[in-house]
Amino acid sequence: MDHSAYIDAAAATLGLSLTQEQRKGVALYFGLAASMAVLVQGLPLTPADESGNVFVPVAPRVDE
Amino acid sequence: MNASSATAIAASVREGRTTATDSVQQALQRIAATDGQVNAFTSVLAERAQKRAQWVDAHPRRERMKLAGVPFAVKNLFDIAALPTLAGSKIERDSAPAARDAVLVRRLEVEGAVLVGALNMDEYAYGFSTENTHYGATRNPHDLTRISGGSSGGSAAAVAAGQVPITLGSDTNGSIRVPASLCGTFGLKPTFGRLPRTGSYPFSASLDHLGPFARSVADLALAYDLMQGPDTQDPACAQRDIEPASPLLERGAAGLRVAVLGGWFREMALAEALAAVDAVAQGLGTTRLVELPEVARARAAAFIVTAGEGGALHLEDLKKRANDFDPMTRDRFLANALVPAAWVVQAQRVRHWFARRVARVFETLDVLIAPATPCTAPLIGTEWLEINGQRLPSRASMGLLTQPISCIGLPVVSVPLWGMNPTAPQLPIGVQLIAAPWREDHCLRVAAALEAMGLCSAPVAPLAAGA
Repeated sequence: MDHSAYIDAAAATLGLSLTQEQRKGVALYFGLAASMAVLVQGLPLTPADESGNVFVPVAPRVDE
Repeated sequence: MNASSATAIAASVREGRTTATDSVQQALQRIAATDGQVNAFTSVLAERAQKRAQWVDAHPRRERMKLAGVPFAVKNLFDIAALPTLAGSKIERDSAPAARDAVLVRRLEVEGAVLVGALNMDEYAYGFSTENTHYGATRNPHDLTRISGGSSGGSAAAVAAGQVPITLGSDTNGSIRVPASLCGTFGLKPTFGRLPRTGSYPFSASLDHLGPFARSVADLALAYDLMQGPDTQDPACAQRDIEPASPLLERGAAGLRVAVLGGWFREMALAEALAAVDAVAQGLGTTRLVELPEVARARAAAFIVTAGEGGALHLEDLKKRANDFDPMTRDRFLANALVPAAWVVQAQRVRHWFARRVARVFETLDVLIAPATPCTAPLIGTEWLEINGQRLPSRASMGLLTQPISCIGLPVVSVPLWGMNPTAPQLPIGVQLIAAPWREDHCLRVAAALEAMGLCSAPVAPLAAGA
């Protein structure tokens, strides 16, 4: 799959200007990430499988 | 002295048979004599180390210090007071010096250990080879033409070269276990959240672990025990009591249920890796083989989480000064900055799914065995490997067998075996001993049993002094 349109749009949105030299490598490695994403997206999950990553509130320090 | 264990050095210093000052001086001499060949160190802190050694020698509590006079060194992503924390980069040379040492450095030094330097690594911990363009490649002490592994390559190489008996490194996807395997040292990646990361440069906070390297299981367990304990400054650090493993080593593998991991962990390994696993299984008397579900997806989840977090972490520098990154990492970080959030969130969900499935396996087993790397150390500059009939990029492939395990934060000891590759019998290869969360004692006990049998060991590499 050709990701070049996404790469251009996402890079512009983030303020990343890619040189021609960088662009070749970025396309290669983004393609690799995309192939990993296919595996990750391919596992059927349910709402019960929501990530357990939990924010931990931070209590103020109390001076002893 | 360069082959002495930390345990032996500390005993000698405690009992007055030698001094911390002498011990540190010998380490500094060994580094000076060998690091021109190995390139493990990026900074040698002779003045600081000599002062600290004098402090140990004069300390009224010296006779009770568990690491009295033991020289050690840390991957250069650990904060060292008054030095910028490089994390293998050129960019961080411009950052402010660290205000104080990392928590783990302080915990070792309070027990009498003496920091002698900072160690080479892949830039921002993103790599498995320590072929760092800014600071040079760290070469494998057992064959200087080969990689040390990474990203904690300097940490493994310094121990293998006999420069220091203990080092610290980090492991996000295999960065302790891979270099331990390729350099022939013991390495421990504890449970995610066991050791605080306070004062270390992050790579992917959801996956980053810190841990020790050593040339004996007793040293590995001792360093690990002394670094345990909660720290509120690292939100991922578990608020758990210290659970010492050292007193349990003498139990060996008795009573522990052990099995070999099949499927992915045998398919993605070359003959020498399989031979090492089979030797360990035979030594432990197990013929059980188990498979974990969806390992390739778990590895992919680790890859995506790392990409998303690592890319976001460096976004500002990627915008302002991308060409100051190491060419080995630059385009990967740029690509990672573009990874969509949906992939990262889904990867975290897959990770939790996988952790729940693997937990079921540990209901009937205590330790799982797998290769640490697919093969022995490749030559420096190797680009491709053939594994399982596939032509794969060599550097990334070094983590194929470690990534699925760190993805779910399990504790692992990598133990070194020798002579498994008939074409390069001088090279070691590591085997992962994997336990359920918080059961570092199980993998350390099995490692101690294998060491006692003579199946695994971590000899100092026969380097020519001063070459």
